[in-house]
Amino acid sequence: MTETTAVPAPRAVPADTGPTDGGGPSPTPTPALLTPGEAARALTDAPVRLTRGFLGLDPVTRNTALLARQITDREIRVTRYDRALLGYTVNPLQPRQVMVATTSTDPAPLEALLDFLAVYQRATSFVAEVPDGSPVLTALEGCGFIPGGILRGHLFHTGRYRDVLVLHTDREG
Amino acid sequence: MPLVTLRHFTEEDIPVRTALLRETRFQANLNDLGVVTSDEALAARQRKSITEEHDIKRLFTICGPGGDIVGFAWITSIDWRSQCCELSFAVLPRYRGAFGAAAVGAAHAHIRAELNMRVVVNQVLEHNTMLVSTEELAERRAVRCPWDSYTLGEWRTACYWTDSEEDVRRSREKSDRRRREIAARIRSGGRT
Repeated sequence: MTETTAVPAPRAVPADTGPTDGGGPSPTPTPALLTPGEAARALTDAPVRLTRGFLGLDPVTRNTALLARQITDREIRVTRYDRALLGYTVNPLQPRQVMVATTSTDPAPLEALLDFLAVYQRATSFVAEVPDGSPVLTALEGCGFIPGGILRGHLFHTGRYRDVLVLHTDREG
Repeated sequence: MPLVTLRHFTEEDIPVRTALLRETRFQANLNDLGVVTSDEALAARQRKSITEEHDIKRLFTICGPGGDIVGFAWITSIDWRSQCCELSFAVLPRYRGAFGAAAVGAAHAHIRAELNMRVVVNQVLEHNTMLVSTEELAERRAVRCPWDSYTLGEWRTACYWTDSEEDVRRSREKSDRRRREIAARIRSGGRT
């Protein structure tokens, strides 16, 4: 398994500048870009209900080696931001459109990722696909994602085909 | 909590599976590769399965209620498009009586519910009655193939059959019926 480490770390997300002695406001989390191997292990260790369908990956049906290979092949970047895993991959046919994913139900980490992508990737269009009923839908809605359609029976797991919601938001700048 | 669970086979599991590959009944019932292969070569082979062969061969670790390894299952001859594969098992000697049937059930459930397999091919060498009795083997086999395998100095006859979703449903119903009958017999104090 080859692990790529040459990807630059995201810089637009605010760095940890707050006090750490417990006397002031809680410090802002520092994002950490994960290698494909680290990302695969992190997705495997995270709760399944949050990770199935994360940019099309599925830790239930794929081992960490295959996940790492798919992350590499599809040029997926995965960042750990506090306890959340954030992922994105640029649409090769439309470089300002990015497919994003989160394992958090809180919109804040995803909002930080969108800011980063808007500034450093000059991304204006963001797309997400989540299995119907996924808990991370609240984070996407909190970041302004609007449902654009449903892919009927797009994903098979736990014994049946399941719908996948396609959501979209714009950051025209 | 289920009696057994399945997870992906990892590098940490290799020593346990290597020891199983060296066990006499495993070698007679599945293959005797472990007799003539070094520890390093067996480990390298299994590591390759984890890192490079996940699309064509999948190894699973079967765990008991406390997370202890009770055995392994693996699928080969995977045809993703046709939703068909061959399923094999090996349970550690000390868990054979307790977990064999549950391991078979868990592996079948996982590959159907998560990997979307419709047809599972079974191969059992005829002398091996650890998981399937002689009578059941005779009843279920679709093909009896003499001279199929050569393990521990003997030619072995293999029995082959497939399990479709309908077969699994019928088998589950039969097993539930048997369980209900036994429960009823116990409740009645053995009077029939």
